[in-house]
Amino acid sequence: MIHFKNVTKVYPPNTHALRDVDFHVAPGEFVSIVGQSGTGKTTLIKVLIAEERPTKGRIIVGGWDITNIPARHVPILRRQIGVVFQDYKLLPRKTVEENVAFALQVAGEPMEKINKIVPQVLKIVGLEEKHERFPDQLSGGEQQRVSIARALSHRPKILVADEPTGNLDAINTREIIDLLMKINELGTTILLVSHNREVVNALKKRVVTIDNGQIVADQERGKYIL
Amino acid sequence: MFILSFTRILRFAFQSFLRNIWLSLVTVTIIVLTVFSLTTLILINVVTEQAVTAVKDRVDISLYFEAGAKEEQVTLIRNQIEKMSHVVAVNYVSADSALELFKQTHSGDELIQEALKEIETNPLGPVLTVKADDLKNYPIILKSIQDFKIDEITKEIDYDDHQLIIERIESVSAKIKQIGLILSIVFALISLLVVLNTIRMGIYVHRDEISIMKLVGASNWFIRGPFLVESVMYALLGCLVFWILFFIGLNFLAPSVHSFFADIKFNLVDYLLHNFFYIFGFELLAIIFLNLISTLIAMGKHLRV
Ligand SMILES: Nc1ncnc2c1ncn2[C@@H]1O[C@H](COP(=O)(O)OP(=O)(O)OP(=O)(O)O)[C@@H](O)[C@H]1O
Ligand SMILES: [Mg+2]
Repeated sequence: MIHFKNVTKVYPPNTHALRDVDFHVAPGEFVSIVGQSGTGKTTLIKVLIAEERPTKGRIIVGGWDITNIPARHVPILRRQIGVVFQDYKLLPRKTVEENVAFALQVAGEPMEKINKIVPQVLKIVGLEEKHERFPDQLSGGEQQRVSIARALSHRPKILVADEPTGNLDAINTREIIDLLMKINELGTTILLVSHNREVVNALKKRVVTIDNGQIVADQERGKYIL
Repeated sequence: MFILSFTRILRFAFQSFLRNIWLSLVTVTIIVLTVFSLTTLILINVVTEQAVTAVKDRVDISLYFEAGAKEEQVTLIRNQIEKMSHVVAVNYVSADSALELFKQTHSGDELIQEALKEIETNPLGPVLTVKADDLKNYPIILKSIQDFKIDEITKEIDYDDHQLIIERIESVSAKIKQIGLILSIVFALISLLVVLNTIRMGIYVHRDEISIMKLVGASNWFIRGPFLVESVMYALLGCLVFWILFFIGLNFLAPSVHSFFADIKFNLVDYLLHNFFYIFGFELLAIIFLNLISTLIAMGKHLRV
């Protein structure tokens, strides 16, 4: 599903954010990526969604070599990879429903399809009752669930979450992780970047550890080792 | 799909316009000024052309015959002139109608009326006026007429090419045009900068939306479209507002405008009504072109996915 082949990313002038990163994620896998601050986890996600281009190496997503993807194909790639961030990135003046619908609108989806998908994804994240609320009327965990619903709206094969629980307390964190597990069970490949030792250890899924831009460990049913 | 996306882009553009309403109004105002200077330039061109044509129309060669000149003689000369190349028309005014005409034009002048009664006989002779196909051919025709050696029966052969007046009109209009052109360029530059600034502001205000759009896979044109549409909206509004104001103003000034141009038989209102869509279309396209350039500059690399 995702193939990193000896990927190196150098930010000018000479910050080596990724060094020779080489790994493969199979369809339906749930992979946690851990590592200390500034080791290149976010950069790994950025090159995956073509926000940055790798300096060296190749990246293949679902058989599609996106290493030098032309700008006009980038939106197509991004509709196949749902992304969730620590800070939710919701539009404050749109309701829950509108925030999710927005992602479909700007991709040019027809109204009927939007009206069908939005309740579906809101149901998956358990927010169908609160669809008319604004983000500031929701808890942090709920806001993150909206952003997950939005990430799911294009029915992506891959969901990438960059520290989705970074701003949440233990209970909300638990809920979000359970939600990600559920989405994974529905068949979506998940890439989770996390700092949270308990979360990663409780998952009992594959863990890739990055240090200073390099993969230093890659274990099935791994533990947070740093 | 295309229509759907387009209405969405239109809606985003409209929201963006309203969200910075004051900035939008300033932008429209500066475009109105640009259209104003453009229109001035166009109208000056038109008026000059009309004035020069009007003056050129008045150019002719007039042969004033002696009071006693025989009609057959005049007809003979008339036939000969008509045969010349470059002559398009020879007009014959009999002595009687010349007198009628003279009386009419001086109907208010007691002294002249009195004097005419005193003389009793018609002091005027018949007149031939000659029109050429082109201004530059008058000298040749004049020369040929003078070769007839008809000094004995003509009081005067009158030819004035109005060269002086035409030169005056053209030099004054050239000066006004120069000012108009400079004004247009200055306003065009200012509106370029203002539109650029407004669009940049719009991008700044919408930075969160834009970054989310990129994230969720909005196409490049969906991100850029609203700003391009917005700039076209400014152009359209600017042109419309200017012309509405213009016609309101013209309504008040119409009588004085009319008498101002009466001399050259030019009806500005008629001209505008007949050519409105050409002028409006030209200005709209010019402003749209200008605005799209500044919008593309404003977007630069900000809006690349
Ligand atoms: N746009 C950029 N330009 C230059 N350097 C950058 C840029 N983005 C990141 N870096 C550098 O690249 C390195 C890796 O950054 P990255 O954001 O990938 O780390 P991270 O593992 O996500 O850290 P954190 O856990 O704190 O989020 C850091 O040294 C960072 O300073
Ligand atoms: Mg990071």
